[in-house]
Amino acid sequence: MLELLNVNPSSGEPIYRQLHDQIVRLIVGGQLQPEDVLPSVRQLAEHLAVNPMTVSRAMQQLVDQGWVERRRGQPSRVAARTSANNASGSSLLAPQLSALVEQAQQLGVEYDELQQLLKQFWQKE
Amino acid sequence: MEAEDKPVLQFNLVNKTYVETDKSATGHKVLVDLSITLYPGMVVGLLGQNGAGKSTLMRCALGIVDIDSGNINTLGESPENLSIEAKQRIGYVPQQPFGYEGFTIDKALELHRSFYPNWDIALEQDWLKRFDLDVTQAVQKLSVGQRQSLALIMAMAYRPTLLLLDEPVASLDPIARRQFMGAMFDLALESGSAVLFSSHITSDLERVASHVALIKKGDLVLFKEIDALREEVKLLTINDDTKLPASYRILSQTGQTVLVDTQGNSDVIAGVQNEKSLNLEQLFMELHR
Repeated sequence: MLELLNVNPSSGEPIYRQLHDQIVRLIVGGQLQPEDVLPSVRQLAEHLAVNPMTVSRAMQQLVDQGWVERRRGQPSRVAARTSANNASGSSLLAPQLSALVEQAQQLGVEYDELQQLLKQFWQKE
Repeated sequence: MEAEDKPVLQFNLVNKTYVETDKSATGHKVLVDLSITLYPGMVVGLLGQNGAGKSTLMRCALGIVDIDSGNINTLGESPENLSIEAKQRIGYVPQQPFGYEGFTIDKALELHRSFYPNWDIALEQDWLKRFDLDVTQAVQKLSVGQRQSLALIMAMAYRPTLLLLDEPVASLDPIARRQFMGAMFDLALESGSAVLFSSHITSDLERVASHVALIKKGDLVLFKEIDALREEVKLLTINDDTKLPASYRILSQTGQTVLVDTQGNSDVIAGVQNEKSLNLEQLFMELHR
């Protein structure tokens, strides 16, 4: 799964959060299934060339939120889905949606127009 | 980072002025009331314009340059008379290395190694391989980047507790830079060392630093954990009459655009029209407007 992850250090967003959000997306999107083994902090840090402390912070957050399970002496695994972590795909789009709406408003694009655009792009993909 | 850890390096209200040669009365202030503390495990990226005082700060920590006032604690000692034991626990790569002309790499390493009882030969070998250096080559025939790699090995193979790197990666290619960063993490996390390194390559700094220290004309403007920096330092667009909370630290202001350190205050402020997080390069530019 390493190849599915990448971070952009020059984005204003903290790297640990980028990593956290990407892994959540992979879980919600089904690319990562419950019981799937995650790479170690060290492997992730090496692959992404980032400080291992950053990776470990992201992993800790995933564990705290119930996305990932850590058992003593074993690699981390994707946790079974429970009510605590059943965020839907649509709720994860909120940041992109709010950015899109903000930009549309700045550019004076009306709601109906935006809806049309969305439809066009949806059909193109 | 925990309270029980002893600082590896501590500056307390340090001032340093270089006397001008042309007899101008004031002299040139290089460090102004500078205070900073490094604990084990910290990888501190030092960012600042050319001439901001980055190299001077490192030289002061090593006792190569005397300070005018304040005090410095380097591995529990005063830098003016560091013991041999302390020196053996410090690694330093200056901007312009370095001697060993006329030696081959392996002869140079043999001599260098003899100064450091804690030299880890396996680590040395591993890094020679990682940096792709051929030990039979003559030092003066190495490229600038290869020399820099060798200087890094020489400063790091004895796992120093304090590692000071003055623009260590400027001449390294991207692959060697990544190798070096990996080596640096191992050192900081496994050996509990503290690393202070200056670089203008902000994207590297963003990857490796646990903390960022930003100096401007000898003044430490910001010193923060890198994640906190992204979350707490914001570029705001405000109205003329907007009142910012007292807990905000204003770092710079041009008209209605204000760069603030919210210092963890996440309240929504009335009158703020827009807020933006910045990457290091943008932050750097904003601070030097």
